Amino acid sequence: MSSLKNIELPDIGDFDEVEVIEILVSVGDTIEADDSIITLESDKASMEIPCPSAGTVSQINVNIGDKIKQGDSIISLESTQESEESVTKEEEPGETKEETTTKIVPVIVPDIGDFDEVEVIEILVNVGDELNEEDSIITLESDKASMEIPTPTAGTVSSINVSLGDKISLGDLILEMQSSGNTETKTVVEQAPSAPVATKPAPVAAPAPSTNESVSNVPAGDSHASPSIRKLARELGVDLSKVTGTGQKGRVLDTDLKGYVKQIITSGGTGSAIPKVPVIDFSKFGETELQPLSRINKLSGKHLSACWLNIPHVTQFDEVNIDQMEAFRQEQKAKGVKLTPLVFIMKATIQALKQHPRFNSALDESGENLIIKKYFNLGIAMDTPNGLVVPVIRDVDQKTLSDLATELAETSAKARDGKLKPGDMQGAGFTISSLGGIGGTQFTPIVNAPEVAILGVSRSQTKPIWDGKNFVPTLMLPLALSYDHRVIDGAQGGRFMADLNSILQDIREILL
Amino acid sequence: MIKTQVVVIGSGPGGYTAAFRAADLGKEVVLIERYENLGGVCLNVGCIPSKALLHTAEVINEAAEAPHLGVSFGEAKIDIDGVRANKENIVSKLTGGIKALAKARNVQVVTGYGKFISANQIAIDDSDEVIEFEQCIIAAGSRVTKIPAFPFDDPRVMDSTDALELSDVPKRLLIVGGGIIGLEMATVYNALGSEITVVELSDQLIASADKDVVTPLARRIKKQYKDIYLDTKVAKMEATDKGIKVDFEGKKAPESDTFDKVLVSIGRSPNGQLIDADKAGVEVNEWGFIPVDKQMRTNINHIFAIGDIVGQPMLAHKAVHEAKVAAEVICGHKSGFDALTIPSVAYTDPEVAWTGKTEKELKTEGVAYEKGVFPWAASGRSLSIGRNEGMSKALFEAKTGRILGMGICGTNAGELIAEATLAIEMGCDMSDIALTIHAHPTLSETTAFATEMAEGTITDLLPPKKK
Repeated sequence: MSSLKNIELPDIGDFDEVEVIEILVSVGDTIEADDSIITLESDKASMEIPCPSAGTVSQINVNIGDKIKQGDSIISLESTQESEESVTKEEEPGETKEETTTKIVPVIVPDIGDFDEVEVIEILVNVGDELNEEDSIITLESDKASMEIPTPTAGTVSSINVSLGDKISLGDLILEMQSSGNTETKTVVEQAPSAPVATKPAPVAAPAPSTNESVSNVPAGDSHASPSIRKLARELGVDLSKVTGTGQKGRVLDTDLKGYVKQIITSGGTGSAIPKVPVIDFSKFGETELQPLSRINKLSGKHLSACWLNIPHVTQFDEVNIDQMEAFRQEQKAKGVKLTPLVFIMKATIQALKQHPRFNSALDESGENLIIKKYFNLGIAMDTPNGLVVPVIRDVDQKTLSDLATELAETSAKARDGKLKPGDMQGAGFTISSLGGIGGTQFTPIVNAPEVAILGVSRSQTKPIWDGKNFVPTLMLPLALSYDHRVIDGAQGGRFMADLNSILQDIREILL
Repeated sequence: MIKTQVVVIGSGPGGYTAAFRAADLGKEVVLIERYENLGGVCLNVGCIPSKALLHTAEVINEAAEAPHLGVSFGEAKIDIDGVRANKENIVSKLTGGIKALAKARNVQVVTGYGKFISANQIAIDDSDEVIEFEQCIIAAGSRVTKIPAFPFDDPRVMDSTDALELSDVPKRLLIVGGGIIGLEMATVYNALGSEITVVELSDQLIASADKDVVTPLARRIKKQYKDIYLDTKVAKMEATDKGIKVDFEGKKAPESDTFDKVLVSIGRSPNGQLIDADKAGVEVNEWGFIPVDKQMRTNINHIFAIGDIVGQPMLAHKAVHEAKVAAEVICGHKSGFDALTIPSVAYTDPEVAWTGKTEKELKTEGVAYEKGVFPWAASGRSLSIGRNEGMSKALFEAKTGRILGMGICGTNAGELIAEATLAIEMGCDMSDIALTIHAHPTLSETTAFATEMAEGTITDLLPPKKK
């Protein structure tokens, strides 16, 4: 079952024969990977040596005062993980309190607005699927709209508790997920103490003035929270009904509450720094009506704010002569092949992206490296009755104009019907937002982070263009390119636009 | 003139808790009590002395039933002075303890009747003492409700305080009001040898509990007492040489009867109107209650109120919880009263206890619920202590299975109700209770059995439905 492992002193740098000044574990201790086991002191510094793996200490092979060097055995560790199979079970009857096993998280129907008994029309996941937070799991359809329900947490689907045609309401169990509790809980545990929310209010010693502050109105009976959690929520001023519980049956746990507060603090990052917009009672000035935002509105609103706040935007404008493209398009139309200008723009954009790989990239987490994508997937912003969605057309470089036309038509139909799956909206390298069919001379699109650029297309217009001798009526297409100035310099932006312009002007270049 | 940060009016369980908590959080506190002894009604003339007497009653009853077990103690000899002395001993121990705790916390106790003279001053009646405060907690409690037409000046007409004095054991005792206090005193006097008659205006004893939960008690005392008149009004009460002559109005009651003594236990009235609250600007409603918010704050920002004086239920444990909230808010904590339920207990024999919603409340509110009822006749533990009449009823939200309420009648119901109260606060589902292993054989098992009855997983009885 368990295997004995010899933990040796790793390479600790340019040291030889370093003295053991402290032994931090005892036989029988259960330790985690990276727990410190001994402290060494050289003439330059003292350092703690972490254990490379988790297990139970079965033997200690050094004494205080010993001088040891790389490769010397420090302790013997009884590994609690079976060596061959990947086993997540750990039921050491010891006092290990950490959660190393996965935990089952129920996913329930969230507050979806004023609906009750809504029909499940689509199940978007299967048992065993690995989901990210906010991935859609089912589609519901009421008499008013269809909507996709996202999962509030990441994990692996362990069971699905609804069937097609079921009518479900707020609080009903949709599915259960195995969240990889190990990493999750661990990070929570690590971060909790540093979170400012964890500090208790200091007892007031001095004569405190009567606090006028009222307690938050906790709808106590509704949220599933124990008295201690309700107390904490009151102290933090959190409305418990807004916190998603991850405990059994949706119980709000201490970690949920702290996570919620932490999220508020970090999601702004800014949160505290951005001055708030004043709250005004508009009904004082006339009749008003309260209209809740759609799910998509809320999701994209959050995302767009993040993009807007995180990216230093520059927007560059241009106009392209598309007489030739239009002539070709009309020619094809006469033959019965309908091609929208958008497919040409898509193809041309791919061409430009190939010439300027930086525009098909993303900044990595550290912000110090660019991840250049070698595939050419385009996000196409689409207007739907429920709000803005951005489905992704994959491998545009490998598709013909008519392929793209067909795919676009299908995708936009799906988008309108709210039937896009989460996967349909992932993986873009660059986004195009076309308002050509609607109007306007120009607009400044917001970069769809973590992408670094977006092309905005407005309505084409026949304009008198001076050809050196005369004003020639020319069909001009307005383009706006917004980009992340951290990644793309103004000159690069200008070059990309110039190249895109020339490709679109002479559509034969698309063939290159 | 005494100047202090916090003054607390009344030293009942609410008052002394508020004073102590505020002192522990660093405040300078003055506690005003009209009586010599601290502890208020609960310690002096309520919960505690009644429980001492109820224990005496229990011993008498158990001894009387002992021959069934093959043991006889002979006829009980009751030394009424001894019974009283035991009670007084317990009370003085507790009140003395409170005094010591006050001293240890440097809480200054002022004896006298405090009344507001302004929003920051309280004067003590019959002395020149004036206490000036920054913040105040009113914990002035409630008093026995008296009907003016009844001859209370006759010592044979008692309120609960008089009854606890235990001056004698009347031959024929009438108890007006079949609520918790009346039935507890009935239990005591019945054991001591009085012939008990209970008259109750409504159609049910302990009217706020569910009828089916009270039924086991009603059945048992019906056999023990001379009469229980429900739906009956006391039309007139007259002191005569032979006794107290009482006229009844009700279907089953006689027109008139004469009793050696009468205990009037028809409820308690809040003391809101007796402290000159208006001089501080504190709002008091027509019944004498002082309205407060969730932080126990009155309409005056620096004046708080807790306990019986702020509303029903008038229970010590509610007052204590509110006391901590008020003291903590005064000390700048973001405290607030958000308990989901306050349990109620009648320490009768058998005891009746309930928590959360009653079934009749759920019906009135139109809540879809499920219930599980477990008759204690199927509890080995109950049978082995010679009792079979108890019952436990658990109520759950139909949709979620979340526990909404519980009612228990039986030995130790008052202790057993704690589990259900915790379950409600923790938002337990029926399966949470059913799947918690309860020791066997215990009375606490009955709570799990009731949830199993709702779930359909019970094996000690036939489940009403299988799941």
